[in-house]
Amino acid sequence: MSDSNFKRFVEVGRVVLLNKGPSNGKIAVISEIIDHTRAIVDGPTTDVPRQSFPYKHLTLTPIVVAGLPRGAGSGVIKKFVEKEGTVEKWEKSAWAQKRLALEKRRKLDDFGRFKVLLAKKQRRDVVRKSLHKAKKA
Amino acid sequence: MARSKELVPGVGRFSRSQVFARRGLWKGPKKSEKPAATEKPAFVEKVVGGDKNGGKRLVPTSKAPRIYPAEDVRQPKKSRKTPQPAHLRSSISPGTVLILLAGRFRGKRVVFLKQLASGLLLVTGPYKVNGVPLRRVNQAYVIATSTKVDISGVTIDEKFNDSYFAKAPVKGARSAEEEFFEDGKPKAKEAFPESKSADQKAIDQPIVASIQKVNDLVKYLKASWGLSKGQYPHQLVF
Amino acid sequence: MGFTEYQVVGRHLPTEHEPTPKIYRMRIFAPNEVVAKSRFWYFLRQLKKVKKASGEIIGVNVIHEKKPIKIKNFGIWLRYDSRSGTHNMYKEFRDLSRTDAVKSLYQDMAARHRARFRSIHILRVVEVQKTDDIRRPYIRQLLEPKLRFPLPHRVAKSRSLFVARRPNTF
Repeated sequence: MSDSNFKRFVEVGRVVLLNKGPSNGKIAVISEIIDHTRAIVDGPTTDVPRQSFPYKHLTLTPIVVAGLPRGAGSGVIKKFVEKEGTVEKWEKSAWAQKRLALEKRRKLDDFGRFKVLLAKKQRRDVVRKSLHKAKKA
Repeated sequence: MARSKELVPGVGRFSRSQVFARRGLWKGPKKSEKPAATEKPAFVEKVVGGDKNGGKRLVPTSKAPRIYPAEDVRQPKKSRKTPQPAHLRSSISPGTVLILLAGRFRGKRVVFLKQLASGLLLVTGPYKVNGVPLRRVNQAYVIATSTKVDISGVTIDEKFNDSYFAKAPVKGARSAEEEFFEDGKPKAKEAFPESKSADQKAIDQPIVASIQKVNDLVKYLKASWGLSKGQYPHQLVF
Repeated sequence: MGFTEYQVVGRHLPTEHEPTPKIYRMRIFAPNEVVAKSRFWYFLRQLKKVKKASGEIIGVNVIHEKKPIKIKNFGIWLRYDSRSGTHNMYKEFRDLSRTDAVKSLYQDMAARHRARFRSIHILRVVEVQKTDDIRRPYIRQLLEPKLRFPLPHRVAKSRSLFVARRPNTF
């Protein structure tokens, strides 16, 4: 398995992003593998109750909680996750940042969207002007 | 068995009158006394002229119809419902910026002032900002945004009611020619009444002042609204 | 359709000849209480000289899973009638509860043997405690201590109905 081309694996300690259900959009840790379609995930620090979750509705992240024993309870997982700073690692990742920005955009009201439009216009103006200047020079 | 069990949703087993009979409400004690009806005599004695007519004759007070309809025509049931003015949507309150979706000014963002007795919404552009005058709109053709304009300085006169916006009645029949032409030339446009433009200015002035206090709000009201690719109104937040 | 595990208790009606009949108890997997009682009479009729007309149900209780969040390996003995005869079988399932295991058993039997609910008798459902006692390789492979595997062939769903490029599936 060491010479696999794959980067992310289903394994104990793998941090996953849940895409369906009440915990949609939250991250959790795989605590134990049930079979080739589902695993037990748990997120004591991210409000995800311990539950069986199908791989079909989750995405593997590059983050792994190292050294997590198989079948660890919520308390142990919490300790490991807090020690490793997994949630901060996730929140700092470009992926999470992008998701956050996207959500922010989605929640904007009509006036907010209009202000974004104005800001974009302004940015375009600055870029074009400086490009014109650079071309002349 | 007083209940009229539903056969299918909306249709009961018994008719209206059957239900009334079964409920037996008519059996109860009478609540009010009927005014004593003065009985009209069925016949009136009239004096008749002519020798051979016997001098007088009994004539029925109400004449029996000479002909009867061959087919029974059903009387339509009288409705006891009266139209109620529409409830104002909870997202709309005085000062709310609305997006108009229909009519001549569709796509415009306007300021809501108040609801009229007919249930229509009184809005203004303001006219100076985006060209929308004081106007009535149906709230069904409107998207309410969460943006609010401070209109605490505006006093809306009682005269802005539904009759203020009603068209002046045209007296008598006029031909189309008369309506549009004069001396073989198209008629000159009637001037907009001075009083209405003054009303518009009076109402808009404090609104414009408060709009100018907020950054970009003037530009926002000036711009018209639309959907671009991949945008769906039910997924947007307003 | 999920299953529930019921404990059904019943007996023959008391008669002059036998004033205190024996009480029988069964653990039955069924979708609801009605089916559970029906299956109780079906099995009891085959085993003892008692039938529904001459017997009574004393009680029906639901048996809940003690630890519904712990992964267990179940061994299930069953008997089923195929088109050509009757067979006994042993299968293993890895699941969170006995009822979930039985549900996957019925699905598995339907898929592999086209067997219906009525042609399957569940004889025994037992949790296998020790790894060494696991007989089937398809369960044994999941018990490897450092188990890990990738998720290949994940197809990203496109948001729009029409796209210029075909989805990349490898």
